[in-house]
Amino acid sequence: MKRLWTAAALLIALLGFTLFHSFYLSRFSNELTTILHEAEAKAESGHWENAQDLTNTAWNKWHSHDAYLHVLLRHSETDEIYIGFREVAEFIQCEEAGEYSAANARLIAQLELLSEAEQLTLKNIL
Amino acid sequence: MVIAFVRTIILYLLIIVGIRLMGKRQVGELEPSELVLALIIADLAAVPMQDFGIPLLSGIIPILTLLAITMIISVLSMKSVQFRILLCGRPSIIVENGTICQKEMIKNRFTVDELMEELRMKGVTDISNIKYAILETNGQISVLPFSNQLPPTAKDMNIAPQENGLPLVLINDGHILEHNLKLRGYDHNWLEKQLHSHGLKDPKKVYLLTADEKGQTYFAAKEEEK
Repeated sequence: MKRLWTAAALLIALLGFTLFHSFYLSRFSNELTTILHEAEAKAESGHWENAQDLTNTAWNKWHSHDAYLHVLLRHSETDEIYIGFREVAEFIQCEEAGEYSAANARLIAQLELLSEAEQLTLKNIL
Repeated sequence: MVIAFVRTIILYLLIIVGIRLMGKRQVGELEPSELVLALIIADLAAVPMQDFGIPLLSGIIPILTLLAITMIISVLSMKSVQFRILLCGRPSIIVENGTICQKEMIKNRFTVDELMEELRMKGVTDISNIKYAILETNGQISVLPFSNQLPPTAKDMNIAPQENGLPLVLINDGHILEHNLKLRGYDHNWLEKQLHSHGLKDPKKVYLLTADEKGQTYFAAKEEEK
């Protein structure tokens, strides 16, 4: 019976860990997309410096979770987001409104898809 | 990650059901759950091993999940006969009193050729000599001949043959196994005498030397390398 409980505990621990990861990732990506939306609003009103600060904040948050994200997500997906942040930062610096808007929308979509792919939904399981 | 966890459980159970439906003869010597574990684990380990873009945890989580489910299934099948039958099936009698049970053969998708092959491998050529042939849950066939077809044992013939016990390996490919030598109560002097009696001095030239409890030895010298 000890083996049964050990295995059941392991199974529950794995389920708990994976659910926590999907919840945490969803919260984290929501946080980042909110900041990126705010940055876009600032850029649209011509406050490029504020937009840059907000984008940097989002980037720092992403970067501080680098190890965690690298260990748990496909590296190609994290690399795409890293490239997205670099792209957005460059367009802000050049104050290219149209290009920035498109790059920022792509980055937000990538972040949303990243967390969506980890959600426990029938669509994802199938 | 939770998707990997849930998918692993679904796929594992699906493959077990699939293998159960495939029938016993496909299983080989493993039980269905063991076979599924062997099939999946190697592949799961290979993917993150080859593709560095996939996190190691993508392989570790499904493997741990599989091991946990297998552990649960093995404990449950040990505790519950019903569960064991559900998981592994029941043995099927395919020959009874010298008659082939054709319904069971069809049910297990077992052909006459396969039956004859299995029987020949067991040294049986005449089906009418078989009391029972049973297709076990691990895919093997057990053949039980009629009592009058069984070879007589020493007990049947009232003979008391000498019990020689387990032969232990004393020299394995030129290496002396000291532990076994001591266990048999022999020393190097005894070993030298044994080698001498076979015209050898160096144990490195011995391929195999065994000794049983009664002191009976088996000797094989190494063949000369060409």
